[in-house]
Amino acid sequence: MSAPLLELTEVSKHYPKVGRSGARWAAFWGLLTQGAREVGNPVLAEISLAVSRRESLAIVGANGAGKSTLLKMISGVLQPSAGTIQRTGTMAALLELGAGFDPEYSGLDNLKMNAAMLGLSRRQVHDKLDDILAFADIGEAIHEPIKHYSSGMVVRQGFAVAAAVNPDLLITDEVLAVGDESFQKKCIRWIEGYLDQGGTLLMVSHNMYQVQKLCQKALWLEGGRARAYGDVFEVTQAYLAWHERRDAEAVSAGAERRACASYQVQSLSFPDVGEGEPTLEMGADLRVAMAVKAVDDRPPVVLLGVVRADGTPVYGVSSDFDEVALSIDEQGLCRLEVAFTELPLLPGGYAVRAHAMDPEGLRVHDTAELSFTVVGRSREMGLVRLSHRWMPQ
Amino acid sequence: MSAYWSLFFDLTRRELRGKMSHSGTGWLWLMISPLLLLAVYGFVFGVIFAARVPEGLEVTFIAWLAVALWPWLAFADSVQQAALSMGQHRALLSKVALPRELLTLSSQAATFVVHAASYLLVLLVLQWLGNPLTWSGFGYLLLLLVLLQGLAAGLGLVLATVQVFFRDLKQILPILLMLWFFLTPILYAPDMLPVDMRGWLQGNPMTWWMDEIRAAMFAGKAWPDLATLGLLALAVGMLALGVALFKRMAPHFEDFL
Repeated sequence: MSAPLLELTEVSKHYPKVGRSGARWAAFWGLLTQGAREVGNPVLAEISLAVSRRESLAIVGANGAGKSTLLKMISGVLQPSAGTIQRTGTMAALLELGAGFDPEYSGLDNLKMNAAMLGLSRRQVHDKLDDILAFADIGEAIHEPIKHYSSGMVVRQGFAVAAAVNPDLLITDEVLAVGDESFQKKCIRWIEGYLDQGGTLLMVSHNMYQVQKLCQKALWLEGGRARAYGDVFEVTQAYLAWHERRDAEAVSAGAERRACASYQVQSLSFPDVGEGEPTLEMGADLRVAMAVKAVDDRPPVVLLGVVRADGTPVYGVSSDFDEVALSIDEQGLCRLEVAFTELPLLPGGYAVRAHAMDPEGLRVHDTAELSFTVVGRSREMGLVRLSHRWMPQ
Repeated sequence: MSAYWSLFFDLTRRELRGKMSHSGTGWLWLMISPLLLLAVYGFVFGVIFAARVPEGLEVTFIAWLAVALWPWLAFADSVQQAALSMGQHRALLSKVALPRELLTLSSQAATFVVHAASYLLVLLVLQWLGNPLTWSGFGYLLLLLVLLQGLAAGLGLVLATVQVFFRDLKQILPILLMLWFFLTPILYAPDMLPVDMRGWLQGNPMTWWMDEIRAAMFAGKAWPDLATLGLLALAVGMLALGVALFKRMAPHFEDFL
């Protein structure tokens, strides 16, 4: 196997404090005499990754996680405070489409200049000019100054230049989120063609569908650290599940659990799942064990449901719907297990919710929740797999 | 390497076009403004102050001044442009990885070239006005200008680096350059100073350049000698210092801009 196109070893970044001029002088002197140092505000810590040819990598993470800083360091705009970045092969970075365009000059002038900045020689620009113009599809306006362009035209032109560079490694920062629908499709088609021909992509995106489609690996950054790194499906699913849980926490933060509920869910667990965060293969069986405390000798009604991690109900069922006879042991507890066979949930974050209700099934007295994650290599969308068959005519 | 230099020339051309205000007649103004400046200096120093040239020269004071003034303008103005180049291209620096020294060098070179072109025009006008310039020294003059350009590029790189960290330089630099201008025998001849102060002037490298430039255009000095070697050493040394400092610090610019 050949050397990776890009290899980061323990890369960290601290933004220096630059408020006072004294601090700036100190930083100047420090850099001059000692080189890069880890002083200032840490934004990224100990990121290691490798990108091999044809093994595209996506960087995902919430706002402020350090994604753009990492891309800037990889593309060479920023210098890491510690660690090493090794690059082999050609590279083009689109940190912002249209960066480096001068609004006073015509589209054509800017196009040539931008191509030169991305490393094309004048001869290469000349050879590829027709392709670039065709891709940008700006028409006669190419001779007008850029300041008269719509933002969509600027974006088209920026991408057209990068497409012409055709590097070994293409770095994009959320740039596919701009431009109109048809141009986005054109970009995606170009990227797919580029990947088919052996190109490699390093992208930041919030569009997990796109990420799963285009990349093989993913890095999840959180608070400047790598939270997960590996197979694109595993990482993106964990990331989405985390997001949904975070949203749900924000919603339910106000609702406190009733302290002295009469009917209580005493325990809730997955007996088949071992230690750590409960994880389940898609299509596996899920067994839920629970114990509900009763107040007298009448068994309570138990309501059990599955919700998506953001709180969206998927399915709920109660012991009285199904007319299950529950019994109470000598400790006043009602123990039971429920098995969901061949769980058709799609990969993502979910939770089991158990509710203890009075024997009449009128009021919910207590609720317990236990989250789990479904994993699997699937790009189907939604919550559950509906059985289906295709019938081409 | 060819892509590197083609980027340099593209950037320089863009700077030049920017100086012509993006208009078809921009070059006309580039010609008119030095001639106006020449006329103003001629009136002020030739008529009002009736300044005199050093003994034994058959040229007007304005010719004597102009021959040294334009090289100085090329030097000082281009150094100042270079010093501001990183701030001017801030948006570009934070988004595109490109050899950053090219931004400084292209803005320096473009400014220098514009003044050099004005200089040529001014020399022709002076000749036309009947000043006996020694054109046999023109080749040597060009060499001196190339060396001056090297010095300006080196100093420009140093100041561009310092400017990123020390923003007050923007306010201080014009004052320093003005001081330097008056400490250089451009408006006056060294022998107009008291004898014991003349030696001090020789501590200013710009004095050496001005002496050589005047020697070329008024005394017909056509061949480099030991003095030229000193200028070469200075230019190369400054360029090496500028490149070394800039290359060391440039990767960190984005943190401080």
